[in-house]
Amino acid sequence: MTNHWVDIKNADVIMLNGSNAAENHPASMYWIHKAREERKAQLLVVDPRLTRSAAKADLYVPIRSGTDIAFYGGMIKYILDNELYHKEYVLHYTNAANLIHPDFKGPEDLDGLFSGFADDDGDGFGTYKDRSTWSYQTDAEGKALRDETLQDPQCVFQIMKRHYARYDLDTVSAITGCPKDKLEAAYKLYASTGAPDKVGTILYAMGQTQHTVGSQNVRILAMIQLLLGNIGRPGGGVNALRGESNVQGSTDQGLLAHLLPGYLPVPTSADPDLQTYIDNKTKPGGPWSGGYWTNGPKFITSLLKAWWGEHATADNGFAYEYLPKVESAANHYWIALFEAMYAGKIKGAWIMGQNPAVAGPNARLERKALQQLDWLVIQELFQTETVAFWRAPGVNPAEVKTEVFVLPAADAMEKEGSVVTSGRLIQWRPKVAEAPGEALPDHDILDRICRKLKELYQADAGPFADPILRLTWDYGGGPTHPVVGELVDITKVAREMNGYALEDLVDDKGTVLAKKGDLLSGFARLTADGKTACGCWVFSGYYYPMPDGEGNTLPAAKRRGQKDPSGLGLFPYWGFSWPANRRIVYNRCSADPSGKPWPDGRDLIWWDPNADSGTKDAEGKPILGKWVGYDVPDFVVTKAPDAPGGKDPFIMRTDGKGGLFAAMNEGPLPTHYEPVESPVGNLLYPNRPVNPVIKIWKTDEGQEVGNNWGAPDKFPIVATTYRVVEHWQAGGMSRWLEWLAEAQPDMFVEMSEELAKEKGIQNGEMVKVSSARGTIKAVAIVTKRFKPFQVNGKTVHQVGMPWHFGWGGGEGEEYEALAKGDAANDLTPHVGDANTMIPEYKAFLVNVEKA
Amino acid sequence: MSVRLKGTDSAIMIRWIPKYTTVERFLHWVHTASFIPLALTGFVLFAPWLEPLAQGAAGVTIRLIHRIAAVFFGGVPIIYAILQPRRMVLNLKEFLTFSQYDLLWLKGAFPYYVLGRHEEMPPQPRFNTGERLTAIVLVLGTLIFGLTGLPMWFLKGVMPVWLFQLAVIIHDLMFIITFAMFMVHFYLAVVHPMMWQSLVSMRYGVVSESYARAHHAMWYYGEKRAKEMWEQHRREAGH
Amino acid sequence: MTERLAMYIDTSKCMACRGCQVACKQWNDRQGYVPGVRETHNVGTYENPLKLDPQTWTRIKFIEYDDGERFQWLFMKEGCMHCTNAACADVCPTGALKYGPYGIITFERELCNGCGYCSQFCPFHIPQLEVINRLTGEAKSSKCVFCQDRTTNGLKPACVKTCPAGALDWGDRDEMIAKAEARVEVLKNERGFPKANVYGKTQLGGLGRIYVLTAPPEVYGLPADPKYPAISTLWQKIVQPVGQAVFGATILGLVAAFFVARRNVHMEEVE
Repeated sequence: MTNHWVDIKNADVIMLNGSNAAENHPASMYWIHKAREERKAQLLVVDPRLTRSAAKADLYVPIRSGTDIAFYGGMIKYILDNELYHKEYVLHYTNAANLIHPDFKGPEDLDGLFSGFADDDGDGFGTYKDRSTWSYQTDAEGKALRDETLQDPQCVFQIMKRHYARYDLDTVSAITGCPKDKLEAAYKLYASTGAPDKVGTILYAMGQTQHTVGSQNVRILAMIQLLLGNIGRPGGGVNALRGESNVQGSTDQGLLAHLLPGYLPVPTSADPDLQTYIDNKTKPGGPWSGGYWTNGPKFITSLLKAWWGEHATADNGFAYEYLPKVESAANHYWIALFEAMYAGKIKGAWIMGQNPAVAGPNARLERKALQQLDWLVIQELFQTETVAFWRAPGVNPAEVKTEVFVLPAADAMEKEGSVVTSGRLIQWRPKVAEAPGEALPDHDILDRICRKLKELYQADAGPFADPILRLTWDYGGGPTHPVVGELVDITKVAREMNGYALEDLVDDKGTVLAKKGDLLSGFARLTADGKTACGCWVFSGYYYPMPDGEGNTLPAAKRRGQKDPSGLGLFPYWGFSWPANRRIVYNRCSADPSGKPWPDGRDLIWWDPNADSGTKDAEGKPILGKWVGYDVPDFVVTKAPDAPGGKDPFIMRTDGKGGLFAAMNEGPLPTHYEPVESPVGNLLYPNRPVNPVIKIWKTDEGQEVGNNWGAPDKFPIVATTYRVVEHWQAGGMSRWLEWLAEAQPDMFVEMSEELAKEKGIQNGEMVKVSSARGTIKAVAIVTKRFKPFQVNGKTVHQVGMPWHFGWGGGEGEEYEALAKGDAANDLTPHVGDANTMIPEYKAFLVNVEKA
Repeated sequence: MSVRLKGTDSAIMIRWIPKYTTVERFLHWVHTASFIPLALTGFVLFAPWLEPLAQGAAGVTIRLIHRIAAVFFGGVPIIYAILQPRRMVLNLKEFLTFSQYDLLWLKGAFPYYVLGRHEEMPPQPRFNTGERLTAIVLVLGTLIFGLTGLPMWFLKGVMPVWLFQLAVIIHDLMFIITFAMFMVHFYLAVVHPMMWQSLVSMRYGVVSESYARAHHAMWYYGEKRAKEMWEQHRREAGH
Repeated sequence: MTERLAMYIDTSKCMACRGCQVACKQWNDRQGYVPGVRETHNVGTYENPLKLDPQTWTRIKFIEYDDGERFQWLFMKEGCMHCTNAACADVCPTGALKYGPYGIITFERELCNGCGYCSQFCPFHIPQLEVINRLTGEAKSSKCVFCQDRTTNGLKPACVKTCPAGALDWGDRDEMIAKAEARVEVLKNERGFPKANVYGKTQLGGLGRIYVLTAPPEVYGLPADPKYPAISTLWQKIVQPVGQAVFGATILGLVAAFFVARRNVHMEEVE
């Protein structure tokens, strides 16, 4: 989230899209209701089905799964046509005025493609290797050219206008299946937040991301928020309601194939040594060439120092060579990983708190992939379907060669440590219960494994033992476990993530900023010369002693101070919000270009020309002028609005401007493409039905288990998957619990009364749902909450299923889940987004029959 | 049979006339033995001031006793119908046979039982009016207790609540009637100084000839003769 | 009597997360899905359990309601109403169900003998009889007691405490009514629910639950004008006193008759 949970209360319009917050983020509804009560805010819900969130909406807009870009493209057109955008904001804070390369061509010119597309094998899919035409026009000094009148046909504003010119109400209605009056009402309502004194927030979740155009689905939301001037302001933002309680933390810690902790790119084969790694990023046009990322070298060096300590020296490139390099991170994303596993390229797997046997797309194929492993280690609470994948329905356990090791893990409540909310708020949590038996926190399991590894390497050092042997690994000294003995002292991990000084840090005037061994107050203290160690730069300062506003000083993440001087719900003394305890990022945007807060009564930060900046000029006189306010400014605090770059609020972008036009793998502007499996063609670009830069896997196509693709003749119904409030993800934490199993005991499929009538299905009866990849059984819920869509004159039905269920995992009452059912993911396709490879769980084709 | 009078040496001969069969006597006592606990346990739930007895384990026990007793109580007529159906029909017929004398009996009952005025009592068959009314109430009571009690026992939560509520109230009303009746019956049969023979009859199944003559003339003499005797008695008394 | 407390239930804010349903089970140690013993199954609705039962004291009802003007997916938290005129407490022969402090109809399981009258006389069908043995009649009643162990110690009921939507509140009954009435005005005037109404203010002398509804009460299965069961009144006000009077009079009469008879009646001589 650019903003945070409490901040929802400051919104005038709240738009939920691809998010069922009431079910999956129930706590958010408290703040949504608060905004509605205290600000008379309106709640707009955009979703294919009437969810428990939609049931609370002031306006509910149904759209067919997978047509978000058409819907939001229509909104952009509506905003532009009716001049409802926040003019000053758009002009100063975005790249709307920037001039784009004269040779740039968009889908309107190139039949659904942008300039630079290369389809080497002619299969209709390719890449944008050459993105030179997507660049800004620059002057001789390399400065971007801008037309502040926004009239130049090559300026972003005009390009965007042309790009969405055909997304009119009729067309959008024909694509999405949403009635025109509802579309117009939604556009009108949300566009009302373009007024300078109004702010709207967008809360999105996996309904937005789990598409082959998922990243662009999110990007178009960012564009709308930029156009309406809603980013960086209280009550605004593009807010990802993250799918799990600490998934934000795991992202921050780099538990992704393409990232190291703190969003540092993972080294690839193009970065053989540290200097090249840094150069590749800091070169002109590189991601670290401007803005705050110019500090990137400090972050990577401090990370390496945290990991290899004294063995990381300037001479050896701070042990950078110890890091594995990947060919392409994309080869290590979920689907690619399971394809490799399926192909027998992976010998062993270690799974922690995941249930891919149920959760993965085309789960039958993924379960078969697990069978190709020699060994599998799982850290789990219960005997989930992944623990027991070898006895899945239709599998003969005798034929599975995989040796499975199950390590009993402690639950979240059974361990101490920090958890990061979607709003980037890091809160330290105590352990509130003992884990049963030998169950250990994941960090203790890993600690013991790592120590054992070191021991083994010590005894028999192979050719590449140094990364293991020299790894800084000294987290012991924690409490004593009755069975396994000494555990990790988690505060030592916290110290490493926070960062500490390896030598005395002294500024140019000789003042000691931090003594050797001291915790660092923040990432501003990090250096690129090896004097600091920091395991995750964005966390820096989170464990540093800070006041809680009530007279106590304690590690920032442990604070529970409840003062809220702004009344905006920032609660700056509660926990620690990365980065730098900043509650709302890009908050320079909360003030107008001159530095005064927008006239909306939600003053956050502003430029005070008379405040002492703390610096002195050459004559020793204090320099006046400073950004002040309630939040930590996301800006150079002494940079005046009229100084160069004083109106460039997006400091993590090289040019400081919000990217209405910004490169993604599909191009610089989101374009409507249909899901890979769609009942209709692409009405806008008939020759480009689907995202042209995705990877289509064809493994075992045509086999019983394989990457099979359905067409509307056999599978005419759009299906989507989702979660319900009663269960958690693939059910590993909920289907074994009696209270939750009771509330939602069986797998179901929801459908409209119209479809049920057509198929002769009665409410509550068992039905078969089949896709090109499999068939499952589920209880039919026939409901008025699903309605058929009129898509370009054709009736398109949609059904929905939760993906929580599985056959029950372990055998016997002691191990088996209470709530059991077929897995929806037996039906979903093995295809992912072109940028992130997140699977397309939300839109595919099925058929439904009486069982 | 000779009976030695208490405290004397003299013995008298008494002729005994059988009134009840062994089965009837046995069942009567079973009925009594079940009715009393039924009434007492029922009363605990009925009377708010007995709340402490109804609570918790005591209450559970009381309700259990009520059920066990109810089985016996309800079992009596069934066993009777199985073992001696003809007697049962006969008795039922007799219970339901009323004559002009019943009114007179009712009129004479109070002077007779309380004030000891024998002369007003009309002749009666084997069961006098009071006995027959008692029996009818008991038969009806058993039926109604069963018809309301069994559903309350087994169909609670199944049958509609209004029916349950109705059953409760009817059960209670029947209780009021039968229990009041029982007390009168108990009084007359056990406490009342004049009626010791009724106890004997339920013990041994017989009544003395003289008792039969005095109290059940229509049975002892036959209907016709008894009527004639009554008419004569009335004339003699100057009516 | 002390202050009357009440539970505020704003169905317009409830999103059916069922946190209350689960929190209730947790605090009151109630069972959920137990294989072979207490299973639930999907019968074509999100709703489960499908009715209150001895292990389920509160639950969310899911209702799809289309009045022609607007389709609503309604969620309603069901549970004991804690009536001012509570038939359950009135008919309870054990005092297990009582008019407790703050207007709570309290329940003491130890006192309950399982007669089940409460379950049969409640106009809302709330008390649930846990039949342990149908033959012996062994049973225990159960119902929401507004977490009497919490609320009599100054805490909120578990369900209110857990509600993330702010749909539930707990406090002085008059304040809850005022809050509900204000909310209904907002729903009528600003949110397009012309049929919004407050439920519980007057019913049965006033309920301990004050509902904000966006559809007529009947749609939620709530009787608009619930009646105190006439038979309960008849029973307590007439049958019980009359019965006891009859018994008393009979006994008195017989005792008197005995003493009179003893003077007048002589043992019949044996001939």
